[in-house]
Amino acid sequence: MYIIIAGCGKVGASLVNKLSEEGHDVVVIDRDENNFSRLGSGSNCMTIIGIPIDEDVLKEAGIEKADALAAVTVDDNTNIMIAQIAQQLYHVPFVIMQTDDPEKQRALAAMGLRTVCSTTLTVEAFFTALKKGETE
Amino acid sequence: MRIMIIGGGNVGYYLTKSLSAEKHHIMIVEEDRSRCEQVVSDLGSKRIEATCGDGTDLECLRKAGIFNTDVLVAVTGHDQDNLTACQLAKNYFGVKQTISRVKNPKNIRVFEKLGVDSVISSTERIAGIINQELDWTDVNKLLRDRSYNVRLREITVEQGSAFEHKCLKDLGLPKGLILIAVLREDQAIIPNGATCLKAGDMIVIWGDEADIASTFGQRVYS
Repeated sequence: MYIIIAGCGKVGASLVNKLSEEGHDVVVIDRDENNFSRLGSGSNCMTIIGIPIDEDVLKEAGIEKADALAAVTVDDNTNIMIAQIAQQLYHVPFVIMQTDDPEKQRALAAMGLRTVCSTTLTVEAFFTALKKGETE
Repeated sequence: MRIMIIGGGNVGYYLTKSLSAEKHHIMIVEEDRSRCEQVVSDLGSKRIEATCGDGTDLECLRKAGIFNTDVLVAVTGHDQDNLTACQLAKNYFGVKQTISRVKNPKNIRVFEKLGVDSVISSTERIAGIINQELDWTDVNKLLRDRSYNVRLREITVEQGSAFEHKCLKDLGLPKGLILIAVLREDQAIIPNGATCLKAGDMIVIWGDEADIASTFGQRVYS
């Protein structure tokens, strides 16, 4: 699969490493070149320095032929904009984005955006662990 | 109308000032507390409510009165924040009309396609005006260079001017002058004798330079 990852923070970089290990064609975009140092030395993905909400940058990353895109920058609104451009303007078959606001996640789902909410996942993990601790 | 403005920078500030003067009710949302307080203390009026918070946060939008908003105007300095505010307002809260500023002119098309009702880029507006100005200048330079005494001029019909509310046939234009277009809002009207002028119309005149000057007054152009 041809996959674009927007944002090379901790989440983005780990995702890129895992996907390239599995043999996918991965392109990662970040506005800060220094963030690419997070990528594993064995990673053979393509890197693009640029603002990922810029349509020209997304085109350079190959959005017209991408099979999937994950918007995982640290800014929710940037992720929303990238995800919508990918989904509605370029019809990328699979688009997913990160948010840290559970309520926004519900609003975005109503707008047809697929999201992963770090807060919800963390809370669930804690909740499950605590419940489990209780019964042990 | 009840208008919510997201972003209390320069654009948001002056928009609040001029719209509240026109009897609109303004709800302004600004993240920076001191900026927010400044808007209230400078412009303080019964028609202005300020909320300090993130205009893309659902709870903040509710607190600011999104359920009673007729129009949402997003004028922060970040295109992604403006888009998100408009989309949440429209798709989640059912606000009828959304207007957004974009910093990057390339985003005009993106915003329009994603459903923002009106998209404004000051960069593009200014560039457009300059280009238009250059076009006229080029035409006139060419005419001047070849020593023709005809010129192409753009003249705005001012409120209260002698031309306002007049039909072309009653303008008494000298024979050598042709009014080629009336630019009204988004429309370019090819006029005839029955076309009436309104304040704010931009009229494009072709004709003898001296005739233009004597008819429309020297002060209109330099």
